[in-house]
Amino acid sequence: MLAEYKEVFLEELEEQLQLMDEVILQLEQCGDSGEVVQTLFRAAHTLKGSSAAMGLGEMQRLTHQMEHLLDQVRSKKRSVTPPLIDLLFKSMDILKQMKLDMEQHDASFVDITSCLLELEAFGRSSGESPSEPPSESSGDKAIPTDDEAAFGADSFRRPLPEQTLSTRLKVQEMQEKGKRVYWIQIGIAPECVIQGARAYVIHSMLTEWGDVLMASPEAESLDEGYVESLVLTFLFAGNLEAEELKARLTRLVDVAGVHLVPEPFDREDMTIPAAVAVEKTAGQSGTQPVEKSKSTTIRVSVDRLDHLMNLVGELVIDQTRIEQIERKQRQRFQDESVSELGHVSDHIHRIISDLQESVMKARMLPIEQLFNRFPRMIRDLSRSLGKELDLVMEGKETELDRTLIEEIADPLIHLIRNAVDHGLESPELREKLGKSRKGTLTIRAAHEDNQVVIYVEDDGKGIDAAKIKASALRKGMIREEEAELLSEREAVNLIFRPGFSTAQSVSDVSGRGVGMDIVRSHIEKLNGLIDIETSPGQGTRFKIRLPLTLAIISGLLVKVMNQTLIVPMSSIAEIVRVTAQDIKNVHGRPVIVLRKQVIPVVDMNDPVHPDFHRTGKNHIPLIIVGLAEKRLALVVDELIGNQEIVIKSLGSYIGKVDGIAGATILGDGNVALILEISALFNPTGGYKF
Amino acid sequence: MQAAVQEQYVEFGIENEQYAIRIQEIHEIIKMQDITQIPNVKPYVKGVINLRGKIVPVLSLRAMFEMADKPYSKTSRIVVVHHREDTVGIIVDRVSKVTTFTDIQPPPDRVGGIDGNFFVGIGLNGSALVGILKLDEVLLHEE
Repeated sequence: MLAEYKEVFLEELEEQLQLMDEVILQLEQCGDSGEVVQTLFRAAHTLKGSSAAMGLGEMQRLTHQMEHLLDQVRSKKRSVTPPLIDLLFKSMDILKQMKLDMEQHDASFVDITSCLLELEAFGRSSGESPSEPPSESSGDKAIPTDDEAAFGADSFRRPLPEQTLSTRLKVQEMQEKGKRVYWIQIGIAPECVIQGARAYVIHSMLTEWGDVLMASPEAESLDEGYVESLVLTFLFAGNLEAEELKARLTRLVDVAGVHLVPEPFDREDMTIPAAVAVEKTAGQSGTQPVEKSKSTTIRVSVDRLDHLMNLVGELVIDQTRIEQIERKQRQRFQDESVSELGHVSDHIHRIISDLQESVMKARMLPIEQLFNRFPRMIRDLSRSLGKELDLVMEGKETELDRTLIEEIADPLIHLIRNAVDHGLESPELREKLGKSRKGTLTIRAAHEDNQVVIYVEDDGKGIDAAKIKASALRKGMIREEEAELLSEREAVNLIFRPGFSTAQSVSDVSGRGVGMDIVRSHIEKLNGLIDIETSPGQGTRFKIRLPLTLAIISGLLVKVMNQTLIVPMSSIAEIVRVTAQDIKNVHGRPVIVLRKQVIPVVDMNDPVHPDFHRTGKNHIPLIIVGLAEKRLALVVDELIGNQEIVIKSLGSYIGKVDGIAGATILGDGNVALILEISALFNPTGGYKF
Repeated sequence: MQAAVQEQYVEFGIENEQYAIRIQEIHEIIKMQDITQIPNVKPYVKGVINLRGKIVPVLSLRAMFEMADKPYSKTSRIVVVHHREDTVGIIVDRVSKVTTFTDIQPPPDRVGGIDGNFFVGIGLNGSALVGILKLDEVLLHEE
């Protein structure tokens, strides 16, 4: 497979698979509407064409069968039934697995036989399958699928080679003569010392039993005693039944395994090579000509966008430096050239921020990409858990950085699983409680300020604070005295602590050892925040706040011990000014009471021996930083202001430093460190210079 | 050691001792810059500097050789070396010259109170003895 085509193909495959998943769900929910089936049919057809072009015989066959079924639905010869939907989903799963295999190994190792047979059988079940002649069905039945597993057939399977038009014609000729045509793949035992000779023997045996229409590697290269791979592939036509043929082949010396696939007798397939040729010349990307003509997009690799973003980052840094130089010059000289420098600097500033925004936008994708995975997942989930629910998704068009979409997927999926598994009650219980039988799960995304907010909301039983407290006590995560002091809100937030899981029994769905603490730390890694709102009996709402992008963040510059530090804006809840008297001591630790919430105070200069009168000023600025539900007030010497900053790593030599998220270069050319707020909440954390 | 004798070295000093690094390993030598300290790192990591837009860590040889810290002087320099994939700055008291050695002896166990493993060998140049640093050992030094 050509690498450059492979990439394009895989992307297309991903797109089509997602589309198909979506449409099958629609089909399930809304039943048979002509347009939906048409879309699905087109997608299957597109995949069939492109997989044929890539020489992926198995995928081609599978999609062909799907297309065949859909064609029956389209022409009203078949109605949409649950078994049909299930079968389609099953095929989708196999296609997805094939895609995964291809990404990782260049070849697919999925066994499609059983699914293929199922599809074929289904296609015939109504007795209205005009395109399938009876001869094929007798051949199919002869395939012992169980036997294949016994031979360990998967281990040596390769994608079937693409057929040329002339072999296709030969196949058809043979089939019309009433012969059976099979693809045969034979694995030669690795310990065999004379592979070439062995392969030659097998080849001549096959010629004796029938006709070899195609052989790979070819007979000529076998004569030279050279075998490329340990797997031989033949296209064979003969009168033998599949079982008999297989038995004969297996009996041969040095044969490790045999895999048989009947070549379907189908006139329609004849048209494929021609169609493929056309698509190939069209650059392989042409899937739906209608869409193609109106879309003006190109695909750009993420690496290039990353590089572009880095360059913009450098520009942002240099631009802040120019600004600083300009300010200095202005103080010193009253020259016309200085004000000219100011104009130029302003202009550059504007252009760079435009540029930055454009590049950022180029990296943004609608969250739809991620959301589209959910309906299928939730369908499977609710089925296996016996829950009934309606899924509501809002704000699909909300855009955020590509990397973020990838990173947020796992935590979101976990939250959804939790909501369906633990949050929503069973239909019976819901009825008893006077709620509607069906639960509602809402997933919503929106832009708020300069952030993206994602809500996962269910109308289930909510989180019982008392239960959480009891469980935490039992696990020894908190002490009795502590438990009494906890507010309801704080108690609920205990679920974010490591090692916490209230599920009584570990179900297949949640409780895979990934707790809410992982979800939280994942979100924090992205400079995000997570919050819970819950009311018992009414439901739970998780709120995730994320920055729009990872590379450039907005940060607050502060001065501590003559060093400039940066606090990411995303983790700042608010900034307040208090007097030294407002800071109280509780158990020897400084705290501040803000709107009835007790917040610990940390003196960044000296966390161990805080001194709030040091500056001699009346008012002390406090930066209230938040980490999930927790708040902390930081005391710094001076607030400098906020600025767009480009996150740079400290390099591999220093590696990851506790409490430091990275560094950036300031306008004056100095390096400033970016604080990692989560480390401040860690009792062992602290800054030791 | 014939090949080594032909090679050029940059000789520099800390306190009263002279040391050298192979010239090929040196990227550039710069004057002292504002160093941003980093918390929670090994004591000999003095912090990071901005080297033309790149963040580069700087180490103190004094700290690594367990000598007392001394304020940087006018002669203090940062020797920027390329090591594997990294660029690292090494703070020295003074940089003396580019030199070659007539002979290089294998290092003894201790070189003036410093672990001999830090050195490739001792370079002889007339009557002067110069410790030639083994960068692999110096930079990947574990406490």
